[in-house]
Amino acid sequence: MLGWQKHRWIGLCLLIIALGAFILFLYGFFPLKYHSGKVAHMDDLPNFIHGVSIDGQEVYNSGEHSVVLMVIDSLRYDFVTEEYMPFTAELLKNKSACIYVSLAEPPTVTMPRIKSPERKILKAQWRRTINFWRDIFAMMTGSVSTFADVALNFGAPAVRGDSVLRAAAARGRRSVMYGDDTWLRLFPGLWAEYDGTTSFYVTDYTEVDNNVTRHLDKVLTPDDKNKPTFDFLVLHYLGLDHIGHLQGARSPQIKPKLLEMDAVVKKIFTAMKKWDRNGVLFICGDHGMRDAGGHGGATPAEVLVPLVVDKSDDFECPHPLGPGPTVAQVDMAPSISWLLNVPIPGDSTGRVLPALMPQDIRQHLYLLHVMSAHNAKQPALPTDTEVFRQFMRAEKQFAQYLATGQQSAAKIAKEFYEESLEGMAKHLTETTVNFDLFALGVASLLLYIVAAALLSIVLFSLQPAHRKISGTHHHRPSKAGIALAYFVISAICIFLLTTACFLTETKSRLCSFDPWWAIAFILIALTFSLTYFILKSAIEHTKDLTTLKDLNAIDYLLIGGTLFHAWSFFGTSFIEEEHMTWYFFWNTLMLFVLVRTLTVLMVYIGKRLTGSTEVQDKPELHKKMVAGVEVLPKWIFLIALHRYLRTMNQTGDRWLFLPDTADWLNEPQNSHILQIQMVIGTLATLLICIRNLQYSNNILQMHTALTVLSTLCILAYRVATKSLDCLFSDVETWDTVIIVNVFWGLITAQFVFEFLTYIGIFKTCGLNNTTLNKPCEPCGHKFEYTKPKAKTEDYFYDSMVEEPWNVNEVKLNLVRSISHLMLNNMMLVVILLMRPHNVIMVPSIYLTCVLTSKCLDHKLLDAKSGRNTETVDVVSQTLAHLWIGYVFFFYQGNSNSLASVDLGSGYVGLREYCPIRVAARMGLHAYAGPALAGCTLFCTLPVVAETWEQYLQSVWRACNIFAFQRVYTLAIYCVIAIFFRHHLFVWSVFSPKLLYDLTATVFTVQALSTIAVIVGLAHMTSWVARVVTQKSRL
Amino acid sequence: MFSLNNQLELRKVTISSLITCIYLPSIITFISYRGLLYSVGNGSSFYILVLIFLAELLKSFYLNASSDIQAKKNKASKSRVSDILKSFVFLLVVLFSYFVGIILFGAPLLECHEETLMLAALMTLLTVFPLIAHTGVEASMQLVFGIKTYGKDTIIQMLINNSLLTVCGAWLGAVVIPLDWNTPWQQWPIPCYLGAVGGYVLSNVLTVLKVSLMTAAQKYPALNFVVKVMNSLHNAKKI
Repeated sequence: MLGWQKHRWIGLCLLIIALGAFILFLYGFFPLKYHSGKVAHMDDLPNFIHGVSIDGQEVYNSGEHSVVLMVIDSLRYDFVTEEYMPFTAELLKNKSACIYVSLAEPPTVTMPRIKSPERKILKAQWRRTINFWRDIFAMMTGSVSTFADVALNFGAPAVRGDSVLRAAAARGRRSVMYGDDTWLRLFPGLWAEYDGTTSFYVTDYTEVDNNVTRHLDKVLTPDDKNKPTFDFLVLHYLGLDHIGHLQGARSPQIKPKLLEMDAVVKKIFTAMKKWDRNGVLFICGDHGMRDAGGHGGATPAEVLVPLVVDKSDDFECPHPLGPGPTVAQVDMAPSISWLLNVPIPGDSTGRVLPALMPQDIRQHLYLLHVMSAHNAKQPALPTDTEVFRQFMRAEKQFAQYLATGQQSAAKIAKEFYEESLEGMAKHLTETTVNFDLFALGVASLLLYIVAAALLSIVLFSLQPAHRKISGTHHHRPSKAGIALAYFVISAICIFLLTTACFLTETKSRLCSFDPWWAIAFILIALTFSLTYFILKSAIEHTKDLTTLKDLNAIDYLLIGGTLFHAWSFFGTSFIEEEHMTWYFFWNTLMLFVLVRTLTVLMVYIGKRLTGSTEVQDKPELHKKMVAGVEVLPKWIFLIALHRYLRTMNQTGDRWLFLPDTADWLNEPQNSHILQIQMVIGTLATLLICIRNLQYSNNILQMHTALTVLSTLCILAYRVATKSLDCLFSDVETWDTVIIVNVFWGLITAQFVFEFLTYIGIFKTCGLNNTTLNKPCEPCGHKFEYTKPKAKTEDYFYDSMVEEPWNVNEVKLNLVRSISHLMLNNMMLVVILLMRPHNVIMVPSIYLTCVLTSKCLDHKLLDAKSGRNTETVDVVSQTLAHLWIGYVFFFYQGNSNSLASVDLGSGYVGLREYCPIRVAARMGLHAYAGPALAGCTLFCTLPVVAETWEQYLQSVWRACNIFAFQRVYTLAIYCVIAIFFRHHLFVWSVFSPKLLYDLTATVFTVQALSTIAVIVGLAHMTSWVARVVTQKSRL
Repeated sequence: MFSLNNQLELRKVTISSLITCIYLPSIITFISYRGLLYSVGNGSSFYILVLIFLAELLKSFYLNASSDIQAKKNKASKSRVSDILKSFVFLLVVLFSYFVGIILFGAPLLECHEETLMLAALMTLLTVFPLIAHTGVEASMQLVFGIKTYGKDTIIQMLINNSLLTVCGAWLGAVVIPLDWNTPWQQWPIPCYLGAVGGYVLSNVLTVLKVSLMTAAQKYPALNFVVKVMNSLHNAKKI
């Protein structure tokens, strides 16, 4: 255990531990709220109260009502006054209406300002919808929603569970909607009539409301029986919100707007009076506004919103004048359901508003019973609580009242019901909404210690190689001693954790000591102690960090930027606009390198002009300088290329709406340019692939042929999907699925072929080995088919005479060729998955990686040569490739919002939905940048390395750095997420970023394991070869 | 590090830095008082550049005024007119490369050319122009790319520091653009423009501070540590 820091894949193991810890964190952050998905039905109404029978449906019936829900966006509590809304205030004053204080979960809306293409509107609507989601969800389903509800529908957020609207539609009620079209997206197909206005043009605050009001006359006119034509009408007015955004809460525009709203209230009220049916009007705001006009915080002005209830006849507000009692938003759902005479939605936890409760005691008690029974059935409510017992007592009293008609029993029952309802609501919100802080704390602590361990391992691995060997010779503690120490530390960890459990009196499931959770609990403690040991021994063995002195300014920039980036997430806009951070870093890096290369050029010119002999005398210096000069134009080209790619996809949140190159290319009149660009991208990739094949066993040019064929498949796929015009029109009719399957076949064939050549050579070699004393020439001659590439020949028979097997060199070659094949195939797959305009990214990534690694070479840049800069090279290369990956991740149009996930790429070449395949495709498509950049890095490592040991060493370092960066980001971000868990943007900004981090971590684990598998394969092949050889020798 | 040997140069450096510390902030104060601060990117604010140009020119006259006689001889030997023409062309080239560079590093490609041009002009004025005015075209070219070491020449050292900090300021100014504060000064190129001016002023302030501290340190050796720290901060090493 003490020597584990030297193990080659310890970084990967720690990363996997970190992934586990992160999943624990996610568990604590997104409480898995149980949405039963139960659909309420009228038959669910209880017909027996403690054995006494009662006709549920008859008692529940509230009579005929038409409900009008008027949502005024940004209606603040202090707007409902005589000054702003005289009619409403009048109603409140003579008690024909009731006002409540409702606590809003304030959504925020970022308004786009520029007209933009269709596909982007969808993206931006996502965020707006998510922000609206909570309020509307609460109002219409009566339950508080969780992020899982949101995350599970990426593209089309729609409420799937039960809601008032669903119940109303099922009972044949007519729901009508005028106003913000978010409602239509949330509840598709449940409206009898609707007219949605889009809320995108914030400068418009008259037209949006006129679009709603113009329908009023028609919809409020009763039919020939003098009954209204609807049962449930939703009006959503946006104008006030827009004024607030533009001019603030003190704007002179506010008053006329509110007067206009008041006139609408008056209109509805007078219309309601004329109907033959009882009408109920709810007026509410969904959130308030700051004095400055925005909303986004949690100040009282923003979260306290009025809820005015008012009935057309026989209604008197039971509450005294002045600010009404506080109610929850979830109370709207049962109130409306009951008024519409439809069952209360399945997951509702609210209660009917007190002002609406019927006067009839029997009905009143029955309603209370229905609501508390509904809550009592919620799975989150255990039956052994005091609240539940109170409910049972209330039921008994109710039954007594029903049987005997005692008024006192009714009174007691009412009290008991009220108490239990209150308690249940409290309990339910506590258990379903609260974060599991204990799990969060443990998980982030674990992440921190893992990050620390990885950091120490990274530093340990950066030591020069020879030190490492000498360090191990000191006294080694006995195995038993280590085991004992581990046992003791684990015991201490378990003890500490248990104590923490009891001290904090947490309700966390982690401390529930269920069998399964207990296992997790013990595992956490064991991991803690394990990580502690690794950390300890790595620190103890890190003694010689002289290599770090070779770091130059660019390296410091790379390290500092990577470290700083994690901290930048403390600002929400830096999460939304994370691409800006990376673009800035990348630009700075490019500027540094540009200045560097310019300096080299100037020195060169200067030397040439002055005719100094220094350069001519030292040819290697001359060579170095020429290389530096040659790189300059390429570098400038690269900067220009990146400038172009940056404009390809607008991403993030604020500038998402600006038209970008992708929009321009996708316009029909520019389709030929798009096609040309796509073909250029594909062909450039083909060229790169063929160039990369020099590292593989390209016998008889088989690989070249296969690569060309697979590229043809890709082009055929493009033709078949109509994104490319073709001379041969029958290609268009080909089945895409078959094309893609052929493509997979070709790629797999490449790998199999490569392995077969390696193993095959060894086999024949082994057979040959019986005649070991033969000279090299005939031996090599035997494998004539290996001739086409000189490479395959030179590795096995050079030193054949003395040392028969230069196994390590073969291994290195094998790793080289497999890595390059992996890169090739990955590039081809990514090209297949990419959108046509993004195809150009793939060769650009490769080009950037190659050029950057050339320019970051310490030997080229630093004046003092002769030092061994290999270690520092690995550091800067790894970080630079990491940066490139991130930069391209955002170039491609990704962002930290769930809306930018491209669902289309998941279905390339698939006929039906298959979760694993779709997820893998979507993942590879989204993370194409990081994946390709990382892959290129792991391709350069074996090319640069001279020996197998050196390769292993640099792979070890690179893996450690990758793992460290990942875990470090996770650890910092977890703390940020805990810190901002009540922040307003927690759903639209912080939580999606957590999911992105999870995916990134999973993919890092996958990538590093792939590298491990490659190295393992190399070992295995040589082992197979050895076995075969020995056999044949016998 | 500045040397204390050449008292004359030191005094010149201090005075010219002081002048900069006064005139640039007063220009900025003036335009912000007039409510024109957020229009610095427009072509209408060209007069600011003219003002800066004149001020820098005067400063360079002051700095060159009593250079040693040999330099004067050198100057005299060449024809004045061709020198000016050459510097003008060189300045134009620098301006253009700044323009292209700024666009390459992320300025809007198809619009806002006027703004970008103003920024490029300001950068040229603040970074390269004082150098050219002081040393001439060839020498300044060599200095910019760090081929020629400026050795003990305090004035050139100051000028190079100024231009480095100006570029840093403009570069760091871009950081605020993506923030969602929705303030009027987050428009392109105001943060970069003001960042460049800020960097330039900061560099001059640092110079003045350093010189005064160095003088003070002769009396109070305890201050030497501060001087060292300042030196390491200010002498932003060439990358």
